[in-house]
Amino acid sequence: MNQTVDIKELNERIKQESSFVDLLTIEMNKVIVGQKHLVESLLIGLLSDGHILLEGVPGLAKTLAINTLATIVDAKFSRIQFTPDLLPADLLGTMIYSQKNEEFVVKKGPIFTNFVLADEINRAPAKVQSALLEAMQERQVTIGDKTYKLGEPFLVLATQNPIEQEGTYPLPEAQVDRFMLKVVITYPEKHEEQAIIRHNLAQVFPTASKILKPEDIIRARKVVKDVYMDEKIEKYIVDIVFATRFPESYKLEKFKDMISYGASPRASISLAMASKAYAFIKRRGYVIPEDVRAVCHDVMRHRIGLSYEAEANNVTSEEIISEILNTVEVP
Amino acid sequence: MSARKRNILVKHLFTLLMVLILPVAGHNAAAQTVSVRAALDSTLMVIGGQMNLTLQVNQPADLLVAFPHLTDTVTANVEIVRTHARDTIRLDNNRLSITQMFTVTSFDSGLHYIPPIRFEYIEREMQSSAQSNSLALMVVNPFVDVDPEKGFFDLKEPFNLPFIIKELWRFRYWLLFLILLAAATYGGWYFWKNRKIPLKEIFFKEQPKEPAHVVALRELDRIKNNKIWQTGQIKQFYSQLTDTLRKYMEERYHFPAMEQTSHEILQTLRKTDLPDKKLYEKVERVLNTADLAKFAKYEPLPDENDMSLITAYFFVNQTKEEEMLTPEEAAQKSVDNEKAEELTSEQKK
Repeated sequence: MNQTVDIKELNERIKQESSFVDLLTIEMNKVIVGQKHLVESLLIGLLSDGHILLEGVPGLAKTLAINTLATIVDAKFSRIQFTPDLLPADLLGTMIYSQKNEEFVVKKGPIFTNFVLADEINRAPAKVQSALLEAMQERQVTIGDKTYKLGEPFLVLATQNPIEQEGTYPLPEAQVDRFMLKVVITYPEKHEEQAIIRHNLAQVFPTASKILKPEDIIRARKVVKDVYMDEKIEKYIVDIVFATRFPESYKLEKFKDMISYGASPRASISLAMASKAYAFIKRRGYVIPEDVRAVCHDVMRHRIGLSYEAEANNVTSEEIISEILNTVEVP
Repeated sequence: MSARKRNILVKHLFTLLMVLILPVAGHNAAAQTVSVRAALDSTLMVIGGQMNLTLQVNQPADLLVAFPHLTDTVTANVEIVRTHARDTIRLDNNRLSITQMFTVTSFDSGLHYIPPIRFEYIEREMQSSAQSNSLALMVVNPFVDVDPEKGFFDLKEPFNLPFIIKELWRFRYWLLFLILLAAATYGGWYFWKNRKIPLKEIFFKEQPKEPAHVVALRELDRIKNNKIWQTGQIKQFYSQLTDTLRKYMEERYHFPAMEQTSHEILQTLRKTDLPDKKLYEKVERVLNTADLAKFAKYEPLPDENDMSLITAYFFVNQTKEEEMLTPEEAAQKSVDNEKAEELTSEQKK
């Protein structure tokens, strides 16, 4: 077998660097029963430097998952409960007067951490959402006249409740776009639910061990960026994204009036990055169409605007993405 | 002339003078007269009904006659609904006829008296006035008085008239047309449903579709003859090879192979009845090698490329659908084959 040197080297490197993935998954599975997709999505977000919006009913181990991840990575973790009376200063920090020193000193907010769980993000007003989303994008916070860099790695996991929409402030489309993935968490399987009951009744709550340092994640991110993506895969990603914008060009005329706006170029970037991270998790040095398809729903579901007609016909963005994947030719 | 005769003459002259002067004087007097007339369209009106009250003034053209200021009522029981514009007509004798109409109504039953309406004007520096005639209006209530003590009752049902078939006689031609139209529609639908020849073939002779394996084998021949991988185009070689196989599978096994990944294709193939189990493994190897070549810059050895092409040929030949030939076609084909064999043997000789 006469293999190209670059790919061979890359594959070797990835096999070495991604060895922690199995360990991390094992540690996560020790604490969290089921929710394989959630754990995988957390890893993708962590490795591709993207933030995650989680949608699921309460009690599906969202907080526990990110808490466990913070423990495994030996990183700092903050949980912020978003409420209607929350202020940007409660999140970012503020300047308070020190009587001892007779000067204003900076009191940093809970955002100065590695992993942030923004619980029920849609319960806080737009100004707080903007403050968080700006920090997510810029990776820095300005308090007074000084700008402070946020920690590395910095991962925001925001949650939304699909029910109880009364009195909420839905995230604007432009801000939702800043989340790399929107993961929909479903209920556990029957046997998983049974295991959860057993753990709780026996009061046996395993704890995860610290197996990684934040620097390992930063190093792994560099390797993820090096994962080879062929031109054919790039074209495949572009085709998928374009199919959301111009469905009629991909024999999907039926969706023409159902999509009010398609995915943004940020979606293409996120799809490419998430595919690379997925390939890395699967310990491969190159991206194949399966990787793109595996992350496509999570990357695209919050980036397609549905028209009134789609809502009237009960057509969801999930169905549109599935149909696009079934129609766009695989390279 | 006697005194008696003179008296008679004076009398006649006075009479003549009177005859000559009086019409002129009378004319002047009439010219200064203002006459007013009031009229209703009818003297009887149902309660809430409307009718016109017309006021007509006949006056000298140089005289200013003030119309009464009627705003919303004529009397307490007669209300004004609408005030129309005044209409002025110039008469021959330097007089004007001014007419104004008011649409009036009344919501009180009974006989209503409309007193004379006064029009004021100034003549020779003296204030004068003219009055219209008085009017009477009878307002009647045609509705039966509702006695609330009797309680509420339903509205009366519409009258039911019996259906008479004779009434349809005048529509006989329309009915006949509708029956014929329905019969023609049903006939058309029946013909459409039970037709043996597809509609397309009535107008165009459709070319029989080439079997999937014929197309695939021709395409594989082209890939082989073009010597793609031999010229270093490994990626193109595997792209074309897998595209050919996927198109063949799509036609042969009726699943969207072109829109599926290698893994999905293999999963579908696993569920189909392949003639040989090893065939599945061989296709799996080709698809995996192709994925590596297409997406991971992998360059297989020349033997692997040849083997992939041979496997593709083998897969198509092993899974192709046998052509269903009529006895005549089968006989013709065997004759053709014999001729071809003879020709080949002669050429060899």
